[in-house]
Amino acid sequence: MRRHSIARRTLLQGTGGLALTGAFARRGMAQGKEPLKLGITEPLTGSEAGYGADFVTVMRMAAKDVNDAGGINGHPLELVVIDTQASPQLGINAANRLATIDKIPMFITAWSAVVKAQAPVANREKVLELSVGANAPDIAKLGDYVYTLFPLAEVDITALAKYTYAKLEKRRAAVAYINNETGIDAAKLYKATFEEAGGEVVLFEAYDPKATEFSGMLLKLRAANPDMVHVHGLLIDTPLVIAQMRQLGLTQRVSSYSVGYNPKLLAQLGPAAEGFIVTSLAPGLDDNKNLPAFLERWNAEVKRPPNGLPYLQYNYDSVLIAAKLYKYVLDKGQEPTGDTLRDALLAVREFDGPLTGKTVVDGHHVKKPVYLLTVENGKFVPMAKLE
Amino acid sequence: MTDPIVLLQILWTGAVTASSYVLLTVAFSLTQKVTGLWNFAQAGTMGIAFYTMHFVLNDLGQPLLVALLAGGALAAITGMATEAWGLDVLRARRSGNLTFFIFTLILAELVIYILTLLFGTEPQTLFPSIMSPVHIVGGIAVSNWDLRAVCISVAALVALQLFLRFGKEGQFLIAVADNAKLAELYGISARRAYCVTAAIAGVLITLAMYLLGARSGITPNSAMELILTAVIGTLLGGMGRVFMGGLASLVLALITSYSVLVIGSRWQNLLTYGFLFVTIVLFPNGIHLPRRRIRAPVSAAPVRTAPQEG
Repeated sequence: MRRHSIARRTLLQGTGGLALTGAFARRGMAQGKEPLKLGITEPLTGSEAGYGADFVTVMRMAAKDVNDAGGINGHPLELVVIDTQASPQLGINAANRLATIDKIPMFITAWSAVVKAQAPVANREKVLELSVGANAPDIAKLGDYVYTLFPLAEVDITALAKYTYAKLEKRRAAVAYINNETGIDAAKLYKATFEEAGGEVVLFEAYDPKATEFSGMLLKLRAANPDMVHVHGLLIDTPLVIAQMRQLGLTQRVSSYSVGYNPKLLAQLGPAAEGFIVTSLAPGLDDNKNLPAFLERWNAEVKRPPNGLPYLQYNYDSVLIAAKLYKYVLDKGQEPTGDTLRDALLAVREFDGPLTGKTVVDGHHVKKPVYLLTVENGKFVPMAKLE
Repeated sequence: MTDPIVLLQILWTGAVTASSYVLLTVAFSLTQKVTGLWNFAQAGTMGIAFYTMHFVLNDLGQPLLVALLAGGALAAITGMATEAWGLDVLRARRSGNLTFFIFTLILAELVIYILTLLFGTEPQTLFPSIMSPVHIVGGIAVSNWDLRAVCISVAALVALQLFLRFGKEGQFLIAVADNAKLAELYGISARRAYCVTAAIAGVLITLAMYLLGARSGITPNSAMELILTAVIGTLLGGMGRVFMGGLASLVLALITSYSVLVIGSRWQNLLTYGFLFVTIVLFPNGIHLPRRRIRAPVSAAPVRTAPQEG
């Protein structure tokens, strides 16, 4: 009886051991070789941390998925994350550290001001800088080592301005924008596109990035009497501008870009957010079969709604793209460097991401469909898909 | 933009927005008057008051009154503790002005750093919603927040004025502010006066942080920008003139608000720093309005203006 018991235990242990071995075999492969490092520079503290921290969380999920699937030709993918606080100066420090101390040939970054500030470092050190989330139009002109995996403002802002004129039949727009790299160029683009379509921009006003009081600007806006207001700001100021608009009795419909696609904004504004239009450059639940499972996983792991879901989708896929670039280079027997990885990016060009669908890198531009969402009954609902 | 309604709206919005800055300036200016110190540690008190209220409201789910009481109490205790275990020690050592300045500045940064570790750097509002019902009065939009801000600020300032003018403890503060050593000869404890001042400042700061936090996002670092506003108001109003400091903050906020009529919004904040620069260079003792000369009666004997010789 005792012998039988031991035999059964041994069998169970053996079976369990085999099962575990099977489960971790591929992971073990990924841990056997030297890791391939991917730099990540995002704001983990500061006013933009609400987005930046979620970006990093989702990128860690993607890296885990890569490693659980065996890594990159047996090499685990390791993320080296540095906080930028969305500050250009800290962004430069982070890029310098990644390129010269950590010797990492490729990094993912965001926030237009940071992407621009880091570009000279990337070009000088010949490391591949991949922008994911920043959308200033001139990111396309930052040099031979700076590429975007995210459509620039020319895609969504142009589409939004055209749609506002043609479909919403608005003729007098006001543009209020944050006076930094995120706002300036995108606001100019909105203005040019709206005017080109035949509309008139009756107010074009920049506000200080540190401002919390916008009444003066909004009274100017009231005097200009627009029938549409486009706000191009950041996470902290956009809800304040809209709230103070409503407090001053301004009832015009407001649009913004993907930064406005944030559940916290809905909580802060309540009914004042009704009719608010945002852009999204990633497919929503109706257009992407992988998204429900991703959201389920997110909710299970993070236990709250994500900030800026479309950005998260891009950031998840961007890690997979980076892994593919490494694989392409390794398969060709090359050393992963900024040059070889950049050549890989331009050679592969088309990437099919589970959360954003097909991404075509066309030189320094990315073309994607634009999804418009609006707030109805306190929720973002699909409004239009613009190809 | 010269529409009277627009001008009145700017006046109203500018004034109510300034209310919290007025309270902060009065707190800073009162402390400067009584203790003679530029107490930058009040930036830390601002952070403590706001995050205490935020914690009590959102994490403990307590009503606003409890949050205000908790915030006010902790802010007052912090101010008094700073006095008792920090500034008083420096006074006993006869430390120089620079030591006091550095001590308060470092203390503020330390508190801000701890708050950052505890609460993060994401902007927080006191309530999930930053909206407030709006009424149109004669074409001017007046929100419930506006009314609350005006009522709270006016009530706090009137109470302070009555306390300083008629309260025994308040008169002790003025006596200590005028001459601490002389006041002590009359049995007034300067240490006690400093602690009472710190407690009053804590309450005023809490009210200001409540008004600010109900309307816009606050981060631990916001406090350092807010203390700068208080410094400018104190300088402009003239050191030792508590309510003039508050008035200066109000006027500064109105000028900044009206400036939008002639300059772009992005330049508005530059005005604040411009005022600070001009004040320090040209009006180091504040802007003093010219006093009216009292005319002597015609029939009276001529006033002797110089000592007689011989």
